[in-house]
Amino acid sequence: MKKLLSFALVLALALVALIPALAEDSADVAAVKARGKLLVGVKADVPNFGYQDLGGEFEGLEIDLAHKLAEVILGDPNAVEFTAVTAKTRGPLLDTGELDMVIATFTIKPDRILQYDFSKPYFIDAIGLLVMKDSGIASFADLAGKTIGVAQSATTKDALQAAATDAGITVNFSEFPTYPDIKAALSSGRIDCFSVDKSILNGYVDDTTVLLPDTFSAQPYGVAVKKGNTGLLSVVDDTIASMRKDGSLDAMVSKWTLPAVDWAKVDEFSVSLWQQAEELANATATPEATATVAP
Amino acid sequence: MSGPFSLHNWEAWFSDWSFFASGFLRTLYISLLGLIFTLIIGLVVGILLCGKHKVVLALCRGYMSFFQNTPLVIQVFIYYNVLPKLGIRLGVIVIGVMGLALYTGAYAADIVHSAIKAVPTGQLEAAHSQGFSYLQSMWHVILPQAVKIGLPPMTNQAVNLIKNSSVLAVIAGGELMYCADSWSGSNLIYGPTFVMTGVLYLVICLPISLLARRMEKRSVRNV
Repeated sequence: MKKLLSFALVLALALVALIPALAEDSADVAAVKARGKLLVGVKADVPNFGYQDLGGEFEGLEIDLAHKLAEVILGDPNAVEFTAVTAKTRGPLLDTGELDMVIATFTIKPDRILQYDFSKPYFIDAIGLLVMKDSGIASFADLAGKTIGVAQSATTKDALQAAATDAGITVNFSEFPTYPDIKAALSSGRIDCFSVDKSILNGYVDDTTVLLPDTFSAQPYGVAVKKGNTGLLSVVDDTIASMRKDGSLDAMVSKWTLPAVDWAKVDEFSVSLWQQAEELANATATPEATATVAP
Repeated sequence: MSGPFSLHNWEAWFSDWSFFASGFLRTLYISLLGLIFTLIIGLVVGILLCGKHKVVLALCRGYMSFFQNTPLVIQVFIYYNVLPKLGIRLGVIVIGVMGLALYTGAYAADIVHSAIKAVPTGQLEAAHSQGFSYLQSMWHVILPQAVKIGLPPMTNQAVNLIKNSSVLAVIAGGELMYCADSWSGSNLIYGPTFVMTGVLYLVICLPISLLARRMEKRSVRNV
């Protein structure tokens, strides 16, 4: 009985705490405040972005960004709980509400914007190519007829396919669930080239492998929230904007030895991304309407 | 418009159906070949287990113990990434067929072995007395009776084999599960993708399961 009473008391207190929060915040932000903890999905296997060390601690640019967001929303940079996500789990975890947001080298793409709400980019990367030193491959053109290993759920394949078409060569793709799987396939000669975003690839350069000079297609990373959680989205967007303004985002990027970001390029790219997403949404929503507009 | 199961997501899935059809066909192809080799391995090892040669018995038992007690995903990973280091480079389809057949064959051998053992020993003695050799009596007398006993559990193994073919997704096998991972990963439409992928596996496996159940009923009636 005593337990039940104290439980009811805690519940009542929580509700009381919730009421003023509701008054000023949107429901999604209020839910985070009521919980007192920000639930963030991050990568555990990408050095410098989201990496879990042997002690179980997460570290990297995206971890720092999550701490900053917790400070903005809850006033405490440590009021954040990390969950390791993979390309396959990050979407469903947002939809079920187990996570408030995902900051996990999540490349913004027009068709993805239709599935989740993305913040403006906090980092932009290019696709790189890693090959074995003894393979004799020196440039992208040498990959004609070869197999490139990419990560499932990465945007690499589409971008490289387009580049190959432009260059007039044909390449094959094999997709793998994790980066270590791709590295294993490269070492065993299953694939001729390991390709993901360059900053990620840097973590896999060793004395048997070499990065090719070619880079492709910008990969802007955004924070993703569940579709419709616009309250959280605007907090994230405001935070990223102010961090860009005061230079703290640039400092964070250089702290993790990542290449400096050209924000003018990012903004230009962002505009076109959201425009494409809008066109895509209109095209699928009202096919008749677009048909009549076209001459 | 929003949510993992939105109309837009279903439309997107159905507009790319041909991509999934290619994976579905490859799953069928690998499963069918895998099943044929599973039966061959099961039959050979199962019959050898009925013999008395100690070394052969030990080899058969060793094979079965190893393949029954290690995960298929590790076996497949070894064929894909370790064998090339020893100079053996097999294609993913060969690895798929071989991996599934060696794994399921270890269970099939058990089934064949116990099905043969379930045929009364008098049958073998009777066949011998009629002048049949060991192999002849196996083929004409014992196996036809053993098939009736072993077919229902063997059919269950066939269903397992088909479902296990999804493991090939980790080595870029190009089969149904790989297609589902690849497609949903790129556009994040996972709702319809995995529901329909499950339905496609069900379409292959359910008829086989129902067949097994019918055979089981019939064999119970005949005993």
